[in-house]
Amino acid sequence: MAKINPSFGKELNKYGAINSNACYNCGNCTAVCSLSTEEVSFPREMVRLSTLGLEDDIQSSLKPWECYYCGECSTHCPQEANPSELMMSLRRYLTAKYDWTGLSGLMYKSLPLSIAAFVLTLVGVLIFAFSVDFVLEKMVHIGHLFEMIAIGTVGLVILLPNVARMWWFTILKPGTKVSFKKYLSSMGDLFVHMFTQKRALGCDDNQLRWFEHFLMVIGYLSLLFTTVFLNWFSSEYLIVTIFGYVVSAIVFVVTFDFVLSRIKKKKEISKHSQPSDWFFVIWLFLMGLSAFMVRLFIDLDLLETNKWLYLVHLTVLVQWALIIVPFGKWTHFLYRSFAMYFAKLKA
Amino acid sequence: MKKKKIGVYICHCGGNISDYVDVEKVRQAVEGEDIVFLAKTTMFACSDANQREMVNDIEANGLTSVVVASCSPKLHLLTFRNVTQRANLNKYTYVHANIREQASWAHSDNKIGATEKAIHLVKAAIAKANYAEALETNKVKALKSVAVIGAGVAGMKAAISLSNKECEVVLIEKEPFVGGRVSQWDSLSTTTETGKEIVNRLYNDLITRENITICTNSEVISNKGSVGNFTLKIKKTPRYISTSFHPEDLKKAIEVCPVEVPDEFNFRLTPRKAIYKNYPGEYPQTPVIDLKNCTRCGACEKVCPAVNFSEEEDIIEISVGSVLMATGFDPYTPAYGEFGYATSENVITLPQFKRLIDEQSDTLVYKGKAIQNIAYIYCVGSRQAKGDNTYCSRNCCTSTIHAALTAKNKFPDINNFHFNRGLRTYGKQEILYADSLRSGDIYLQSYEDGLPTVTIEGKKTIVKINDILTNGKEIEVEADLVVLVTGMVPRADNKVGTLFKLPKGRDKFYNEIHMKLRPVETVIDGVTIAGACQGPKNIAESVNSALSAATKSYSIISKGELESEPLVATIDPDRCTWCGACEAACPFDAIMKSEKEGKIIAAINNAVCKGCGMCAPVCEPDAINVTACSSTEIMSMIDALV
Repeated sequence: MAKINPSFGKELNKYGAINSNACYNCGNCTAVCSLSTEEVSFPREMVRLSTLGLEDDIQSSLKPWECYYCGECSTHCPQEANPSELMMSLRRYLTAKYDWTGLSGLMYKSLPLSIAAFVLTLVGVLIFAFSVDFVLEKMVHIGHLFEMIAIGTVGLVILLPNVARMWWFTILKPGTKVSFKKYLSSMGDLFVHMFTQKRALGCDDNQLRWFEHFLMVIGYLSLLFTTVFLNWFSSEYLIVTIFGYVVSAIVFVVTFDFVLSRIKKKKEISKHSQPSDWFFVIWLFLMGLSAFMVRLFIDLDLLETNKWLYLVHLTVLVQWALIIVPFGKWTHFLYRSFAMYFAKLKA
Repeated sequence: MKKKKIGVYICHCGGNISDYVDVEKVRQAVEGEDIVFLAKTTMFACSDANQREMVNDIEANGLTSVVVASCSPKLHLLTFRNVTQRANLNKYTYVHANIREQASWAHSDNKIGATEKAIHLVKAAIAKANYAEALETNKVKALKSVAVIGAGVAGMKAAISLSNKECEVVLIEKEPFVGGRVSQWDSLSTTTETGKEIVNRLYNDLITRENITICTNSEVISNKGSVGNFTLKIKKTPRYISTSFHPEDLKKAIEVCPVEVPDEFNFRLTPRKAIYKNYPGEYPQTPVIDLKNCTRCGACEKVCPAVNFSEEEDIIEISVGSVLMATGFDPYTPAYGEFGYATSENVITLPQFKRLIDEQSDTLVYKGKAIQNIAYIYCVGSRQAKGDNTYCSRNCCTSTIHAALTAKNKFPDINNFHFNRGLRTYGKQEILYADSLRSGDIYLQSYEDGLPTVTIEGKKTIVKINDILTNGKEIEVEADLVVLVTGMVPRADNKVGTLFKLPKGRDKFYNEIHMKLRPVETVIDGVTIAGACQGPKNIAESVNSALSAATKSYSIISKGELESEPLVATIDPDRCTWCGACEAACPFDAIMKSEKEGKIIAAINNAVCKGCGMCAPVCEPDAINVTACSSTEIMSMIDALV
């Protein structure tokens, strides 16, 4: 027996849903969606569940993650109910629900709170820099240490439990029986989707966007690897240095295009940007660019100026690692691939 | 009898006839007949060229009668009658034979048989033509006045329209006040005017017109006569209050009245006194004493000298040329226990809900309880899977959404849940639906085989549905108020309809002649129908039909004279013994008892008789002949056929 929660629509609006109540269930959105199938049909069903506020059904659903936002549904919606943005807001909502700390939800719904978090981390970085008298070498060293510790801690304390919660909401709680063998045999899907996002190719005319995104993911992961494990800023190997330049350039060039399209608002996917979307693309861009510049200044031996530049890079890095990765849009990297894995388990 | 000279034309109808019927053979078969002067075949009898040829033939040869064997008379009887008229022949001497629908199309598998049958049909037509007489149309005097029955929005609008045409109008309203159902609504959809404002506007227009007589508290009790001259008796019930009343005194009189009865104007939600007015601005301005419920205690007389119990019932007689019926509808009353009606105190009907939200401000309270969740159950008493009312009541979807939106604007804390069976907010009304969705109203839908259920658990009322928009999932709402969206049914009181013998359709509303082509005329000549007495309509549609009916009623009588077909029944006074069988058989009320030279016989009202012939076979002494279908004609046709 399901009870309706009419105020859920308002809650979802805080996550970015626009006018989804206007839906009159014609189903055009589902008909035009190239990813929707007879067995796994969306987005109308998700719009309907949202209108009625059936939160249990929404939380147990993987469908929001199975949509890759081509925006065709919103283009064809006769009621301008923005089903694609509804799916996006459901992904934000689910991210908030999976997060055991509750901080994701707070920051999605409140811009002032997000800004406060960014300011707080900035202050922290400045205090740290002050404590080491702004000596570049010390800052780089501790910055590198911080990176490694942050990755480990955020992964273990925040991301791992959150993925477990997603598992609980979507597999365990609805009572889906899955054999251990299936968990193992489906594991391949998890990594394929994590590193290729190949499902996005199912959206119509999406090859370019998929390629950009793919390049960006590979660039980002490589940059992470280069800075953390190859210690790019202190590396003396030419090959490492050049590789670092290439991957950081990939990151800021591709994200620059992403930022630009969100400004231009020409495509459905870039029409509606929430603060979390802006933070994500801009910080990625800044991270790539500042890393590139820091290394460039090192190579050009402009050490005095580089002190300040590195401080900027470190701030961006800290904010990225402590805010955007655990509580922001970064998590879709995990949830999307786990959703494909869980969907395979459910099938 | 002068010997006839008949011209026969046999049509190929392109090939529709000649592909199966050997038209030349038909021509040869009839050509030799004594009275047939000429017989021709033609590719298209209805073509201009052939029509001209027919006119020439008639004039050149002095033909006395013409037979065309072609398609159905429904298609071209009038065409060929007009041809004969153009050739200065009486148009009733024309006889039509249908050899397409009745021969070629019906027997396309048997060409010889089809030809044979066509020959017989044409011979029968020739036999009939032998007796066809020249006839003149009947002329009846028509009074240029119309009685409009029902002073709701349709009746008032029709009266105004007729008044503009310089036609005398008598507007008759059974209730003490004008306005009908529309006066019961405050806010209306797609307009900012209230129902009461619309009614007042119409009334203020009505009273300035000298050719309109308004009779309120009045009922038609008898009807004599027919189109052109209906004589109606109207019973006027007094108000028992003189028009020269002092408002303050009357206010006191209403206050002191000890009687309290359920107020029908508020759909029994509240009580009213025996001396009353439904709302302050109501017209006519004089209140009324409802004598059925008055105890004659005299309290009002003491405080108000205008109260006058000595006023007496008045019966007046009027004569009008046409009658326009605009008697409106009743809201459907749910059966006991239907969706918890009458068994749960949280269940009311849509009209009641509309009165409720009109009457309240600040917070919505029903029976002392604040209302937050409202469940609307649609199609109650309409589109019934089991039950008589299979029709859709047209306006209730819009009306409900409008009421729900009005309620939400007035009481922002409420939640609206619409349990519907597919929404029909057609035309501009769709905007309301979109507004309602955007305001957060929730719509749940089912088919007729999975209607929502209302269960009463203690003080709680739970509405459940298997929502087809959510994969049939069972969804429940705990409703503080359940509003049954009741449709329209015909007026329970149909006395006036019975008086005029108005036929009803399957839905039990008054029936028009043709839904599309003659939408406001009835089979009773001179009586038109307008508004919701014909079937569910919203205000705009009622006004549309009222204007149409007014024009139609006026067009019947506008010349001051009526012409009718001469094809009517006639009585042979020598044979008639007045048994009454013909009167009972007549579907048009055209036969009545009369006296002729001391003998009681039947008389035919030529203005009303349609010549249908229902009376002739029931007449034992064979005293009835139907013009152009006399026994001689029919017998000669039968002889030709067999």
